[in-house]
Amino acid sequence: MFDIDWWSLALPFGYIFVLGSSLYVFSTIYRKRKAAESANLAPWFPPHLQKEVYSTLLELDADKDRKTKVPRSVVRAALLRRAVEDIARIIQVRQAKQALNNLLQRGSVGEDLNQRFQRAEKEIEEELKDVVMEANALAPGWGQTIFQSANEIAANTVLRSRLDDIQNKAAAEKEWWEKRRETIQSDFMKELEEEPTKVAPRLAATMTPYWSTRAPRSPHQARRRRARNKTGM
Amino acid sequence: MAATEEYFDLLPIDLDPQTKAVTASAGAPKALHAELAALNSLHRSLVALENTPQIPPPPIPVNPKRSANITKLKDSGNDLYRKGKHAEAVKMYTLGVQMALQRPLWEPQGLVREEISQLYANRAQAHMALQNWAEGAVDAEAAVEAKRAGNAKAWWRRGKCLLEMGRLDEARDWVGHGLEMEGEEAELLALQQEVVARLDKKQKREESEKA
Repeated sequence: MFDIDWWSLALPFGYIFVLGSSLYVFSTIYRKRKAAESANLAPWFPPHLQKEVYSTLLELDADKDRKTKVPRSVVRAALLRRAVEDIARIIQVRQAKQALNNLLQRGSVGEDLNQRFQRAEKEIEEELKDVVMEANALAPGWGQTIFQSANEIAANTVLRSRLDDIQNKAAAEKEWWEKRRETIQSDFMKELEEEPTKVAPRLAATMTPYWSTRAPRSPHQARRRRARNKTGM
Repeated sequence: MAATEEYFDLLPIDLDPQTKAVTASAGAPKALHAELAALNSLHRSLVALENTPQIPPPPIPVNPKRSANITKLKDSGNDLYRKGKHAEAVKMYTLGVQMALQRPLWEPQGLVREEISQLYANRAQAHMALQNWAEGAVDAEAAVEAKRAGNAKAWWRRGKCLLEMGRLDEARDWVGHGLEMEGEEAELLALQQEVVARLDKKQKREESEKA
């Protein structure tokens, strides 16, 4: 019968064992590192302040030791603020998606950026579902309209801040213009006194307000120019 | 609460028992204070609603009361303008602007843009009649910001104001941009030619002064 010579097989078995165990060790270490890396990826968005406010208000409400309860209207307002912030995030995600895909295809950005993005997308989806559920719990049927309202609130806020920026310039612009008009007028009057024959024909020729075509001259320039005129140039 | 709720830090906020306003402790970051201010003002406007429970109604249909008031203010402003009472017209338009900006935030922004751009454009015109070029320029810019396309008058008015103030380079850029948005608008084209002519004249004079 066969008589297996175990001792001569020790070498191949040993070889297989060493190979297998080294592969195993490599794969566990590699996977652990990868998991740690992706866990350490920075989140796409900063912390959701509105969501934290909302959750904190609910916690305050649940606290039995407190004397004053949090009114439902405050909770509803906080949820609406949260939905508005979600709208801003959705818009950001949608805008970034196309650009990111292009960059990824060209290899201009790394894979970890894509991972961060996909995580943000998933997160925002969960967040939307969560908000709809909360809205329906606070007022029946609100889940259907809360994001419509939030959308208008977000757009209106942007519009108003832009209009405010423009209107806030009005005071400074007015001041600038008054000053400039004064300097132009006084310059013009001076010139008119000193050299009526030079200015008057030009004014008649242009027939446009003199001050609107000329930058205010610094006194230094005006003096130089007058000096030049006197020498007959 | 949703089952998926994760761990979060409790924020240092509290509720004022009388006013029901949410307040943060003094050492809290600025962003939190700003957020709570926004929350409280939203809460106030929600509490003012008449329906129960107090949630914002869907954007459409709009409550017609405010629109009617704004239209009334605009029309009386237009009447005053036509009668030559420009300063009173400016006041009327200003009231209209305030009314339009106080519209609750959840009402459609397209409507706000339409109303506010007309009011600003009309106020710019009244300012121009008073030769307040600076204010006119600002108002016309606001009108364009609210409604970019199909607003040739507002584009023209700011261009005209800049021209009157002697800001020729700005006027040229602005009118050029307006022509891109509005296509070949006759008034804008005329204004552009005027600006370019003035720029040429200015350049020639500067050259002759140098020589």
